[in-house]
Amino acid sequence: MKQVDSRPMQMTRRQLLLGGGVLAGSLTLGASLTGCGGAAQAAGNDIRFWHLLSGGDGIKMMAMIDKVNADHPDYRVKPTVLAWGAPYYTKLAMASAGGRPPEVAVMHAARVPGYAPGGLLDAWDLDLLAEFGVRPEDFGPRIWEKSQFNGQVFSLALDSHPFVMLYNTEVADKAGVLGKDGRLAEISSPSQFLEVSRELQRVTGKHGLSYGYLGDGAQMWRLFYTLYRQHGADFVLEPGRPAQVERDVAIDCLEFITSLLDNTISTKSGDGGTAIAEFAGSGSGLLFTGVWELPTMKTAGVPFGASTIPTLFGTPAAFADSHSFVLPHQARLDETKRRGVYQFVASMLKGSLSWAEAGHIPAYQPVVKSKEYAALKPQADYAQAADIINYDPVAWFTGSGSDFQGYFAENVQNVFLGRDKAADGWDAFMKRINTVLAMPNPV
Amino acid sequence: MSTARTTAPPAKPAPAVKPAPAAKSLRSRRDNLHGWAFSAPFLAFFLMFLVWPMISGAVMSLTGKSLTGANSGFIGLANYSEAFADSDMWRSLGNTLYFTLISTVPLVVIALALAALVNMGLPAQWLWRLSFFSPFLLASTVVSLFFAWMYNPELGLFNDMLANLGIPPVAWLNDPAVAMWAVVIATVWWTIGFNFLLYLAALQNIPQQHYEAASLDGAGGWRQFFSISLPQLGPTTVMIVILQILASLKVFDQIYQMTEGGPGGATRSIVQYIFEAGFTGYRLGYSAAISYIFFGLILLIALAQVFITRKRSA
Repeated sequence: MKQVDSRPMQMTRRQLLLGGGVLAGSLTLGASLTGCGGAAQAAGNDIRFWHLLSGGDGIKMMAMIDKVNADHPDYRVKPTVLAWGAPYYTKLAMASAGGRPPEVAVMHAARVPGYAPGGLLDAWDLDLLAEFGVRPEDFGPRIWEKSQFNGQVFSLALDSHPFVMLYNTEVADKAGVLGKDGRLAEISSPSQFLEVSRELQRVTGKHGLSYGYLGDGAQMWRLFYTLYRQHGADFVLEPGRPAQVERDVAIDCLEFITSLLDNTISTKSGDGGTAIAEFAGSGSGLLFTGVWELPTMKTAGVPFGASTIPTLFGTPAAFADSHSFVLPHQARLDETKRRGVYQFVASMLKGSLSWAEAGHIPAYQPVVKSKEYAALKPQADYAQAADIINYDPVAWFTGSGSDFQGYFAENVQNVFLGRDKAADGWDAFMKRINTVLAMPNPV
Repeated sequence: MSTARTTAPPAKPAPAVKPAPAAKSLRSRRDNLHGWAFSAPFLAFFLMFLVWPMISGAVMSLTGKSLTGANSGFIGLANYSEAFADSDMWRSLGNTLYFTLISTVPLVVIALALAALVNMGLPAQWLWRLSFFSPFLLASTVVSLFFAWMYNPELGLFNDMLANLGIPPVAWLNDPAVAMWAVVIATVWWTIGFNFLLYLAALQNIPQQHYEAASLDGAGGWRQFFSISLPQLGPTTVMIVILQILASLKVFDQIYQMTEGGPGGATRSIVQYIFEAGFTGYRLGYSAAISYIFFGLILLIALAQVFITRKRSA
């Protein structure tokens, strides 16, 4: 500073400083640009809300949020939508572990065992919830049981979304399998199911059943687990011990599914999109799918009804998961904001009738018992599914969009395609699961 | 994280001001000080973003550290012994080596062929140069999307072309036997331009007199190529091969975007496995251990490179 000479060095130093300044400036700018969703942006009365609902669900969710925001101007819920599956869950875990999570988020209830024990989530305070008019008895028993972990409530279910069966009423009528009440006549055995499917196939001339699974582990698992649980068989995963499953039952289920994929009843190699298009075009009489496809079918204008997957093996059971509200663990808890979160979630639960329009069964019983819901067709026809739902086996690596369903696909897809024996596919899957169970538990 | 290299070829860390090997005078000490001052910004970044992460990663690999913060104690080499017994780790490593093998060969051979063609003096040389190089400028996401569409079994360009030739459709990204090749085809198209450019520059550096002398001696085009061009390209080839192997070993982007490692793990690379073990599987310690095993492999290859180039220059 004090020496003023004209050596070339001076210039260089100045350039260096200038360059350094530019560099530092651009770094700060870059950091602030990439820091969106970070603590820096959670100004004032904003409540950050992460969810994974896109498409029709996403539009419904946005409308519900807008309504809550309009009713409660004292805070503003700002949603961030992230891609469903691994990317979402990875980001949520990272944000919680890093101490900058959103104030509230949606998770699949079956994923909570991977988050709650590690301290990534805070438990819900039932007293505070009651203050906003939400009580334990407002939820069905299976859903309420699932919301707890180690005696604390970690997730509040907005819905349950089971794996169900849609049927084309016109095709079913022609095939003579429609009951007098306009609903599909009851099917109660595997052979009867094959029979009905073949009847339907004769009417459509294409397939009796649409079931897309190719490259989609979740879709394979949903049907398998529904049928497995219909046998009354347990599926227990306990870290440090091999999985406790009924191998014969599992192989039975895989063989039954494979017998459906005979290119007559159903195509051997259908993916999700093809199955939906086929059913929507009346190319089949039945569709195995999640309830969330309901709006698609309504838009397509195909005449259809919905029911749970028929009880073929004695015990009524349906695979399901729930979109649940969770409180990601806050490093510094803002009490007033948390009250806002409780109010927001309570309002969402109470307003979940519009969520039911997307096909999901609301978890909040006062809505399910309302007249408006009873008038909602065909949703009301499968509302009883909530009493027979089965979530994924509990473990840190299971749940919707988890590696578990990926392992299932890796080993079972070739069974469905008729390339591997059911027993081989199952044993390979179990080997993989047992390896994961033998690993040190990371949560 | 991909076979695309964004830095200049043998990107040695910026040639920091080296103190002259002068006598230990006051002057040289001051020069020394200036040197350090000038390299300080780089050194700071080097320490912060390379040296420190490497040390902390090595330490992490000896712990059970998890994303959720549970069971994070020191567990010695347990992660390493688990990794060596993990069939998925070996499979991913095998996939990576397989990808490296089947991508490096075409990426070197085709690049050389393209460079030789362009160097032959085709008209509109700039156009060829541009066409071969321009895919390299695309982001991996763009390339993956292009190819995922072209590989689409129902609507894709490739199956449409095959159908016109009367060949049955191929499930490009869904058949475990084909998927890796599909990724390699996309990768070659995408990154060939870089090797092509290196070869072209090297070809243009070969003195014209060599060819003139050879043609006076009656050597034809092929003879000249094999006896002059190829030997002269030796050092470039070694460099390209080494760079290509290192780049291919790091493959992740295009696989993750095109197949997510599927079908059934047939294209899962080791880098993806490291990512999954750490971030979807929560096990940061374990994933650090795998990344150090992978690091060891890369180190071996780098040492082999040093050995080969030393031998050549000796």
